[in-house]
Amino acid sequence: MIDTGHFFILGILLFSIGIVGMVSRRNIFMMYMSIELMLNAVNLILVALSHHHENLDGQVMAIMIIAIAAAEASIFLALFVMLFKNARTLDANFFDLLKQEKHND
Amino acid sequence: MIYFRQPINSALSFIVTLLSVAGLFALLGGSFLFLVQIIIYAGAVLALLLFIIMFLNIKEENLPDEPYKTRWILLMSLLISPFAAYLILAVSRMEFQPLHLQDFGSIKAVGLHLYSHWVVAFEMISILLLIALIGVVILAKKEKGRD
Repeated sequence: MIDTGHFFILGILLFSIGIVGMVSRRNIFMMYMSIELMLNAVNLILVALSHHHENLDGQVMAIMIIAIAAAEASIFLALFVMLFKNARTLDANFFDLLKQEKHND
Repeated sequence: MIYFRQPINSALSFIVTLLSVAGLFALLGGSFLFLVQIIIYAGAVLALLLFIIMFLNIKEENLPDEPYKTRWILLMSLLISPFAAYLILAVSRMEFQPLHLQDFGSIKAVGLHLYSHWVVAFEMISILLLIALIGVVILAKKEKGRD
């Protein structure tokens, strides 16, 4: 018999997978998708809590998070197009302009 | 999902994950959230992501070579697993009711709750979306007028 606790456990596991993917990959698309996965894990936990307490606040918060994720997605993807057109790579290690002490041009 | 080399394989499996989470939302009684997850997340956001991935025409030499990818993933999993195990232990100590299947997050209920308790946050979200829209337009414009 499944109860609400199993949903919490699944949310924790999804969030951990998101953190692992965020830290260990260098492809910027993978990093973006890991962030989205973490947001989804939080959504799942919020909805499970809302079910547990019979209160709709959690579901409304999940809707807010989905709206924020949509706004974030548009900006991320516009940035990706610009970065790829300038640098022709998806490597996050390549985008280190802020690290260089003096730029040579 | 996080192990694929090509981003498009990863995006397709991410769609499967999102649809599964949408099914779990329906199981937890949030029918409106189920619809929103399918339409906005799996429909709009991931379709946009797939469109961008295909539009960029990524070749093999554009991808970063990650020789230590597996090692990194294993190391990070080892680092994260104590925290996850601790949280899972804490959750399993709590007591829960078994799942009761009822639709309490219908569109009417969520809408009434949204417009009676969360009006300010709702308006802030609209302003945030407007800011994101302006930001994207400025980003796209700057690239055109650079040279």
